[in-house]
Parts: sequence; structure tokens; C-alpha cells
Amino acid sequence: MERTAQTAPARQELGERVRHIAGREITFDGEGFLWDPHQWSEDAAVALAGEAGLKDLSKTHWTILRFLREYYFQNGRSPLNRQIKEGTGISLMEMEALFPGGIKYGARRLAGLPNPRNCI
Amino acid sequence: MAALRKTIYLDNAATTFPKPREVLDEMIEVYSNLGVSPGRGSYDLSMEAEGRIMDIRREVCQFFGGSDPERVIFSYNATDALNTLIQGLIRPDFRVVSSRLEHNSVLRPLHYFSQQGIIRLDLIPFGSEGFIDPMAVAEAIQPDTSFVILTHASNVLGTVQPVERIGAICRKRGVPLLLDVTQTAGLLPIRMEDWGVSAVAFTGHKCLLGPTGIGGLVLSPDLDVRATRFGGTGRDSLSLVHTQVYPQRLEAGTVNVAGIFGLSAGLRYISRNGIERIYANELGLAKRLRDGLNSIKGVRVYPATLHDPWVPIMLCNVDGMDPEDLSSILDGDFGIAARAGLHCAPLVHDDLGTSPKGGVRFSLGPFNTDEDIDKVLEAMTSTTRAK
Repeated sequence: MERTAQTAPARQELGERVRHIAGREITFDGEGFLWDPHQWSEDAAVALAGEAGLKDLSKTHWTILRFLREYYFQNGRSPLNRQIKEGTGISLMEMEALFPGGIKYGARRLAGLPNPRNCI
Repeated sequence: MAALRKTIYLDNAATTFPKPREVLDEMIEVYSNLGVSPGRGSYDLSMEAEGRIMDIRREVCQFFGGSDPERVIFSYNATDALNTLIQGLIRPDFRVVSSRLEHNSVLRPLHYFSQQGIIRLDLIPFGSEGFIDPMAVAEAIQPDTSFVILTHASNVLGTVQPVERIGAICRKRGVPLLLDVTQTAGLLPIRMEDWGVSAVAFTGHKCLLGPTGIGGLVLSPDLDVRATRFGGTGRDSLSLVHTQVYPQRLEAGTVNVAGIFGLSAGLRYISRNGIERIYANELGLAKRLRDGLNSIKGVRVYPATLHDPWVPIMLCNVDGMDPEDLSSILDGDFGIAARAGLHCAPLVHDDLGTSPKGGVRFSLGPFNTDEDIDKVLEAMTSTTRAK
């Protein structure tokens, strides 16, 4: 489920936090996801990856991050699990291992996509 | 559509899927012929629809071991039914006893009234194997306890609670016992009157194999529930006061006619196939899955030891992996649909030590096969090897 626009109190409840990263002001939620995917930049992704312990983003990392973003902006939502695998040619298992934090807190977060906040 | 690919569906504790073809066919057939407002007019179709729905109230009443079909109340789901029940029974300054095994459909309404200072809430813990001790219920009941409300089976662990013993205690103490049978209705016989249960709340879209949007309550004749919603009922229209007559007292507005027909078709499917046979088949598969998961290094199954009775629901985690990622891998790489997270039962996960991320829940349904279990075990083995 994609996150919809939130009211100010709701955003506060979700732990809104503003940080300066790679020369930009970026607003995050309490779990470190960007509130606005437009605030993302490749430099921001590199900086966030470094914070997560990933010194270099490889070609495979960028394939995944770019696919996630392109799909999101073309379709207005994040790709389904099988669409990620089909679109990148990389299994979810490999993806989980590639990113510190795994798929959700690694790949999706570094791609600057909104927190899926599935009904957990 | 994702549903068109071959998915091994193991989220039946949320909603059983797929539905038996005959349930859908029967639902469409009956709704095509009787899909009008029941009991709202003096024309034949309306009266026929009302008659058919009354027949279904009798079926439901019998299915749950109730005694009065007019005390079968239809709702939209179990959460709706539980809200109707809880809000209709709450009295200021009384105590309510419940447990830490509950789903948010019970916890959140009770928490709300507790936070508002309207009731005092006593939540009983569960033991390491996932069961409530009936003696803990006995000890929690105070002179000002207005009711005890418990789940029949945990939606996280699948453990079936000792309801008959708890019912006997409640009956002896003169306190109504209300039972959330969301995870057991359709898998285990439920005998509410025999067990000393004053109300059951059920949903149609899980083990009863009906569609979403239909659920209900079965009340014993000695339980009086106030109306908390008001409106049209098809009777006493001259009066501005909502009717006190059951079932309309608790059914403001037109009921979900298609859903009720679907619920009835689901009950008939269960009756034709035998509730014991359905349960035995699912439990056999669940035991194979559980034993298999327990034998995979790096997989943690909760609780560590499990005793009967239980329904085919189990929780697990892979060491070092986020449960949501495990669920994504199972889905994206292996076509297995399982539910990650807290399963709307946060206190269960608190007590298991799996908060805040929870775990991955496998819950079986009537259409799972041995081959499904083999594939899940293969997938879990591959996933843990890759860690």
C-alpha cells in the first residue's frame, strides 16, 4: 500500500525528521524513509548508503535503485515483488543480501521511495 | 493480475483464498434471484428474501450451538461484530477481563474505553506455549467485572484456548464470557450454549469460506446488548426510537444480502465436506510444515514447543532477516504468499519478543496440498542457506 498525503499531526506521529544531506534538505519519517521521493538525488543515495555501511554502490545496486524509481514514477506506486525480480533480473534473495538493511530498509529506502507501511 | 500466477497461498488466517467454486456459484445464483431489500416491503420478493435470510440465521445459530435464531446478528466482519458487542455492553466503572493474546479488534475498543477512564481493563497473560490458564481468568474476575472477552484461538500462534473450562468458571461466577471465534469457526465445532459462552463473534471470509464483508454475532438469550447505531430496520417506522427487537436492534440499515448468501453457501460446503475432515487435512499439513521448519537451521518457530489443540497457524523468523524481507523473498522468488509483521496482535509479539518487526505467519487453508508444503520447505531452506 502506498502512503497517501498525511496531515501535519499524522506526520508528526510518524516521526517526521528533517536532515541536510548532500546539500539538500530532506524530510524523513521515523523509519528513515523519505517523505517526498522528489527530494532524492543520487548523491543522497550515496550518502545514505555510506551511513548504512555500504561504502560503494555497485552497478547492480544502481540497477536496482533506478528500476525502483523509474517504476514508481511511471506507475505511481512501488513495484510488486515479482515485478522487481522481472524488472531487474535479480532475485529478491540476492537483493536482500546486497543492501545493508535488506530489501525494505535497504533498497527501497535508498531508492527514496515512500515507506510502504504495510499493515503489519 | 498477481492472482493468476500460481501462488502458494498461506495467508488463510487473514482471508481464505481461493473460495470454493460452488460457494461463489451459489452466491451469485441466489443473489441473482433474491437480491432485494429483505423485509422492507410487502411484495413477494422482499418477503422471500427475508424468509431466506431467516433460514440462514437458523443455520448460523445451529452451527454455533446457539438457541435463538433471532439473536443471530449480521455485521460486516468480526471487528464490526466485536465493536457492536463491546460498545453495547460497556458500563462505566466496570471491569473487563481479556487477554494479551487478543487481536486489535478486541484490544483497541477496550483500550479506547480504558483510556477514556470508562472501564478498568485486566489483561491476562498467556503461557510459554501460547495458552491462557483458566485459573488466571478466575483470579482476574472481580465483583465489578462486567464481562470476559477472549479469543478462541490466537491468530498468531494458532493455540486453541481452554474455553470449556473458562466458560464453566464464568458461568459459576455469573460473568458473561464472550468469544472471538474468528480463527476457529469452520475448523472446530463450536457449542456456545454447552460451553457457557454468552456470545460468539465471527467473520465469514476466513474458515467459513464466504466472501469478505460478512460476519456476525450469536447471542444467548440472557445477554442484553444495547444498540449503538440507529436507523432503518424495516419495522416500527413511525417511531423515531430504534427498535429494541432482535436482530434488528443491532442491525441498522440493509444487511449485506449477497454476503449472507455467500456465508450460507460456505456453511453448506463445510457441512458437505465435514468440519472434522477439513480440520484434520489442514492440521496434518500444518504439522508437516512445522516439523520441517523446526529442522531448518536458522529458522525459529514460535512458540518453541507446541501442544494441541491448535489451528493451522504458525509464526517463524529467519535469523538475521527482516520478516518483511523474508515475506518478499518467499513471494517474489518462490510464489509463496505469507504474512509478515505483527498480525494486528501487538501484545502477542511483545510477549514473544518479536516486536516491533514481528514474524512471518503461515496459515493453511482447505486447498493447500503436500506439494505446497514441500515447496515452502524448499524455499525456506534455500533462503536460510543464502544467509
